[in-house]
Amino acid sequence: MQPLLELTGIGKTYPGVRALDGVSLHLDRGEVLGLIGENGAGKSTLMKILGGVVPPSEGRIRIGGMEYPHLGVATATRAGLAFVHQELNLFDNLDVAANILFGREPLRGGPLRLLDRRAAHERVRPILARLGADFSPDTPVAELSIAQRQLVEIARALAAEARIIILDEPTSSLTLSETARLLTLVKELRAAGVGLIYITHRLGEIVDCADRVVCLRDGRLVGALRREEIEHAAMIRLMIGRELRALYTPPAQPPGEGGLEAAGLVTGAFPGRALDLHIRPGEILGMAGLVGAGRTSLARTLFGIDPPLAGTIRLDGRPLAIRSPKDAVAAGIYLVPEDRKRAGLVLEMPIVENVTLASAPNYARMGLMHRAAEWKASETQRAGLRIKAPSSATRANTLSGGNQQKVVLGKWLSMAPRVILFDEPTRGIDVGAKGEIYGLMRALADRGVAILMISSDMEEVLGVSDRIVVMHEGRISGGLERAGFSEQAVLRLAIGHGEPARAEAAQA
Amino acid sequence: MNRRSLLAAPAALALATLPRGLAAQEKPTLAFVVNVSADFWTIARRGIEKANREHPDYNMEMIVPGQASAAEQRRIVDALLARKVAGIAISAINPGNSTDMLNRAAEQCVLFTTDSDAPKSNRVVYIGTDNVAAGREAGKQMMRALPNGGKAMLFVGTMDADNARERVQGIREALQGSKIEIVDIRTDESDIARAKRNVEDTLARYSDINLLTGLWAYNTPQIYQAVKAAGAESKVKIVGFDEDALTLRGIADGTILSTVVQQPYEFGYQSMVGMIKVLKGDRGFIPESKQIIIPTRIIDSSNVKEFQGHMRELLRGA
Amino acid sequence: MSKKELGLAVLLIVIGGFTAILNPLFLSSVNLLNMANLIGLFGVFSIGQGLIIITGGIDLSVGSMFALLGVILVDLLVNYELPWPLAVLIIIGAGTTLGLLHGLLVTRLRLQPFVVTLCGLLIYRGIARYYTADSTMGFGYAGDIDTITWLASGRSFGIPNPFLFLVVVAAVMGVVLHRTVFGRYLYAVGRNDEAARHSGINADAVITGAYLLGGGLAGLATVLLVFYTSSVSPSSFGNFYELYAIAAAVLGGCSLRGGEGSILGIVLGTVLLQILQNLVNILGIPSSLNFAVMGGVILLGVIADQQLGRRKQKAQLQRSQALAAAE
Repeated sequence: MQPLLELTGIGKTYPGVRALDGVSLHLDRGEVLGLIGENGAGKSTLMKILGGVVPPSEGRIRIGGMEYPHLGVATATRAGLAFVHQELNLFDNLDVAANILFGREPLRGGPLRLLDRRAAHERVRPILARLGADFSPDTPVAELSIAQRQLVEIARALAAEARIIILDEPTSSLTLSETARLLTLVKELRAAGVGLIYITHRLGEIVDCADRVVCLRDGRLVGALRREEIEHAAMIRLMIGRELRALYTPPAQPPGEGGLEAAGLVTGAFPGRALDLHIRPGEILGMAGLVGAGRTSLARTLFGIDPPLAGTIRLDGRPLAIRSPKDAVAAGIYLVPEDRKRAGLVLEMPIVENVTLASAPNYARMGLMHRAAEWKASETQRAGLRIKAPSSATRANTLSGGNQQKVVLGKWLSMAPRVILFDEPTRGIDVGAKGEIYGLMRALADRGVAILMISSDMEEVLGVSDRIVVMHEGRISGGLERAGFSEQAVLRLAIGHGEPARAEAAQA
Repeated sequence: MNRRSLLAAPAALALATLPRGLAAQEKPTLAFVVNVSADFWTIARRGIEKANREHPDYNMEMIVPGQASAAEQRRIVDALLARKVAGIAISAINPGNSTDMLNRAAEQCVLFTTDSDAPKSNRVVYIGTDNVAAGREAGKQMMRALPNGGKAMLFVGTMDADNARERVQGIREALQGSKIEIVDIRTDESDIARAKRNVEDTLARYSDINLLTGLWAYNTPQIYQAVKAAGAESKVKIVGFDEDALTLRGIADGTILSTVVQQPYEFGYQSMVGMIKVLKGDRGFIPESKQIIIPTRIIDSSNVKEFQGHMRELLRGA
Repeated sequence: MSKKELGLAVLLIVIGGFTAILNPLFLSSVNLLNMANLIGLFGVFSIGQGLIIITGGIDLSVGSMFALLGVILVDLLVNYELPWPLAVLIIIGAGTTLGLLHGLLVTRLRLQPFVVTLCGLLIYRGIARYYTADSTMGFGYAGDIDTITWLASGRSFGIPNPFLFLVVVAAVMGVVLHRTVFGRYLYAVGRNDEAARHSGINADAVITGAYLLGGGLAGLATVLLVFYTSSVSPSSFGNFYELYAIAAAVLGGCSLRGGEGSILGIVLGTVLLQILQNLVNILGIPSSLNFAVMGGVILLGVIADQQLGRRKQKAQLQRSQALAAAE
């Protein structure tokens, strides 16, 4: 049978960098090909070449048996390729239907070329139904959550009736149930004869849906796995070229007293719901829940960005008024935010200035910065956290995701942490660096820091936490001790299955 | 100092938008539209005030555009016509290309031009200076400054203004055959600081310059200051236009030889009185040429003290 | 001195060198001192503008502020006959107050800086014209203002006082911007105010502080400018000066997106602008081409800077990637 897509000897050279080298792969009809590799392994370059965004330096591309010497964006689309991007490429200011049919809008009025909005909505509705979307074609995209936007991206590929769909980290912002639905959809598409390339860091999803796996490392294809060979350890070995040690490290000593206690806390996101939370020093408290369950709002409230509507916060038994991040930082409560590029770092600044950003007055004498002291503190963090950069003068935007996250950590570790709130600490970070971050969290906990880890990555929640609490619609729906950890238990709590009254929600 | 009453601006705005019948007073309005804000027009305002005292049954106002642009002036004239004013006297910013606007005004009310003429339009009469003649007067003063010839530099805001071009033309006519050479004309786009730097740069670059002439009211004071700062009073002579306080001070202390002054007071007074005459059907005062030329005066050390006193009175008195 | 500033300095020397070859009078002490004077006048408020641009804001109102504060200054000295130190203090205080107002509108009401200061531009110009009934105000008949005249427009040790003012302002602001915690915060907030807030920085206070300083420097510049021209015509005084300041800041390496720029760069940018205006007169280029020359050189400078910046960024990216790959 003719392969749907065939790449032969694809290479790409940027000035001074060999991004891809002799990559050959093929994709058949009705097949899901898992593509794995660490950040910087060349996955995105390969995808850019497939999408016609950059031309390959050498090699051949055949789609459906036809050779494409000059694949442009338009030709790629016409040849039946569609992308679902990790970074969403949607127009906020247009509605759902307009985004899905962008470039293929139904027209009326003959030469006037007026947009036929009604026809557009009619065409989009069945696609949304198939995806199980809970929004209508005329919803403005600006009103959608990130997960819903991801569905719009997928709908766009469906609407184009693509023969080849490339999913690039499609679940990075989806909730557990949405991820499950997406994986079902992938299987449906496969059954319909579509070829899919599935790129993700979440290896569980690959195990779940891929027929075959190929792995890129340093721009080369380093291995392939057949369906029966696909399992975590084998994939990790391919990606990092060595074994990864077990995720969970038990704490050095049992959790202490005190820590951060919130009682009757009401956040702005759920004005009607109060919650209690206790993060003990020396433990990693995992927090699971669906996207939109109020976990990020809780972290923002504890950190003083969004003021609480009611409730009290105590630190080591003493009541604390947190009205701004400044108060939280002064008390030793730090936040490692979800969106590190926007909220965690000043990307254009060097490592040193990022590390001392929150503690600049500590390095000043009579208002003047003491550069040498600052540099010393930053170099200490760079060495301690093993940040891969030539020096502390390196700008943060040239670092990989994992190293950027370490800089955010360095900012807080250079101070006196009592409580650190991690919001999705390893999103978009490759496997090797993930392990390092987990190790750092454990080391912090062992130093007596209370740690809250909000995560949507099931493996991470189960593998790293000492204790798990689950949020559902602004409340804590339940907690689990390590002995009781299971995917099922977390999922049941996440969809609010703690109460019988919510039984129907569990089926959704 | 004269400040308009707080109520004047809102009232003017309201008048501009109301149809005539709703306007508070039934007195016919005569408007005097100028090109830019300047002391020159403050003096004209005194002339208008005198006319208004003599004719209290008219409502007279002076309107200063926010920007010295033809577009802004056109907007003002359109608003005045919408208010159905009885007469407009205008110092058109770009008369050559404003004929349509002026003719439209001339159809609907009595239209005078003042200060800068628009001979192609249907204006009733022009009351103001003959700028070519004024230029000739300045040229004569320049020759008086340099009887044996020399090098002169002219300074002006922009050369696209008619009065600037006409004054230069007059100066060139007067200097024809003399040994005075006009090295160049420096423009400053009405930026006063740049007007001063133009003088400074000229003094720095041309060591052999003998004569500096400022064509617009603010040019001469800036020449005066720059020359003083450079200590070049003995080396260069200055001839100017208009009656800025600093210009007069320069004449008094001998740094400036003389200045050619117009009589804006008469522009204001005669325009208003003239428009009233036309409204009453008397056109006998209008000459064949449709131009009433108000002669310029030369102010030099012989008459500067008396003129300074006169100016102080005009600018202070309300 | 960073590469950016070095590049600008080289450009200055090249342009200055060419002008000097074409007309040696360019380097005459009279001409240099004249230029120094103007550099002082324009540099003071360009630094204020630069601080605001570094926060990611902009101040379009400075030109109108000069007109308003200028007529008030003349009025205070001539008509109210206030002692000059008091009058100068009032003007600088008024500038600071207007800056504070802009800062509060930007941070508290979350209005865009462009809009806030555009309204300032219109409002202050309008008030200045209304206040004077559109007449030019000057020191024509003023009394005892010799000391302040000397201070604002005279010379010390042969050097124009405005230039000395600039040296002092630049030194102080250089320390504030490049050495203090406030300066560090200014860059951080300009680059990424979200990350700054997440680091416990009171970003609103930092931004307001920049507008406050900008306003104060505009007040000081008003005093210098008024004594340079000795008269203030409310409708044209300071017209377009905000654009000179923005041009100087951009030439000097400030990005309108915020977070970039240095005091030295802004001063060099001002110097370049003034040299450009001067060479038009010195080389006898028609005055009408003045703006075109300025615009052309700014465009070339910004293009060159952009290309250099891209190269540097690429090189750094490659270095850290190579290192990450090596480990």
